[in-house]
Amino acid sequence: MTNPGLTEVLMSLILVGLALGVSRWWKISTAKDMSIGSVRAFIQLVAVGYALEFIFGMESPWLIYLALLIMIAVGSHAAYGRVKSVSNSFFITFISIVSGSFITLLLMLLLDIISFEARYIIPLGGMIIGNSMNSSALTIERLSSDLKNNHLAIETSLSLGRGWRSASREYQKKAATAGMISILNTMKTIGLVALPGAMTGMILAGANPLKAVYLQIIVVYMILSAVTITSVVSMELTIRKFFSKHQQLISKN
Amino acid sequence: MSCNKTILELKNICRKLPEINIINDISFIFKTGNIYSIIGPSGAGKSSLLRLINRLDEPTSGTIVFDGNDYTQYRPCELRKRIGYLFQTPYLFEGSVKNNIRYGNQSISDEKIKELAEQTQVSEKLLNSDSAKLSVGEKQRVALARMLALNPEVILLDEPTSALDPANTATIEKLIKQIAERCEATFLFVSHNPEQALRMGGQALLLVYGQLIEYGPAEQIINNPQSDAGKLYQRKELQ
Repeated sequence: MTNPGLTEVLMSLILVGLALGVSRWWKISTAKDMSIGSVRAFIQLVAVGYALEFIFGMESPWLIYLALLIMIAVGSHAAYGRVKSVSNSFFITFISIVSGSFITLLLMLLLDIISFEARYIIPLGGMIIGNSMNSSALTIERLSSDLKNNHLAIETSLSLGRGWRSASREYQKKAATAGMISILNTMKTIGLVALPGAMTGMILAGANPLKAVYLQIIVVYMILSAVTITSVVSMELTIRKFFSKHQQLISKN
Repeated sequence: MSCNKTILELKNICRKLPEINIINDISFIFKTGNIYSIIGPSGAGKSSLLRLINRLDEPTSGTIVFDGNDYTQYRPCELRKRIGYLFQTPYLFEGSVKNNIRYGNQSISDEKIKELAEQTQVSEKLLNSDSAKLSVGEKQRVALARMLALNPEVILLDEPTSALDPANTATIEKLIKQIAERCEATFLFVSHNPEQALRMGGQALLLVYGQLIEYGPAEQIINNPQSDAGKLYQRKELQ
């Protein structure tokens, strides 16, 4: 499988058929989702393949920015869908993901870890944005539910003269940690349980395993940086929606 | 603190939500060293009034004057330390009872903590215990000690004895009267129990549907109300 083409892709449909068969045999009603998902994955990925080929060919910085902006907008919207109950949550997810992505990518460029080329920026940006999207949604979800469920504790603290930041510190920490938990867990078992995606891809493409490992380490550190920034920015922007300027807990959020 | 000076004044305060007027145009002057029982049926706005005075909620209109200044002149943290608030449901933070009492006033000495514990009937043996292991009654007494540790000038109590047995209730009532007699604080005391308001003496304010219907000496408001709503409340026909 050194150079897969459409024939190999069509052959791999047998795997989808196997999954469908297993699902039907055990009467797990996922056949429809599997079929739609398989077709959808094919169309989306082929479309992305053509789009990337076009962007890589053009090598225009504006196209790179545009691609990143579209990915961030889609990621923000997906995260927003999970936290609609918090007011202005699209703005929160968008700003958080932008902060996490741009600071991380900028640092990587300044440190000369990557160069400003579409073939680096776009795939790495995609990884960053995908992880940041989950991180932002998890942080906002955790913070809003903790603040709602612990209003007595928070108001008791406020009534004893503490400021809103002190009264809610415990919940801020828990929310930011919730946003980072996925990458922290991944880092514990990386390479021991399964070989991560970027590394696997490079090895399958014939790269030297040590080179693949170096890239993977960079990817993990990059995601760690991005989700940490995204979680903290999400937490900071969300918590302000729950407190008035008079240090009051706003329960309607 | 000298007695019978104006410490707190409500000026036409209202709190309205889209579907309901929680507090409707209440004006009243509270004087130092007095006990004010706030009585009324469920949903009358008694707890909401305390929340407004502690500035946990914002009035829709009207204002509150505290110690001669509009209360918005104070930073909320400072105001809340000077106007203590004991919630109906006590909440203790993780950690020891002693650390809970110290929560709002980190500079308080161990001796003062012991004194407050004694006043509020919190056994000295409990001071180093885990606050999670306390009964509701014990938690309420610790929460009272914690609030008194702020040394507030006005004390808002939302049914502070609802979880206490008669002996502990009597002790807390006695403590409140002693503090008031020494003019060390002014008490606004929400109670569902008119008998308790009678025992506390002082003034009573009858709230119904967010309005201040009647006020005066507790004995008069409870035993000889003048308003129709007051008479209905006396006959327990307003609940």
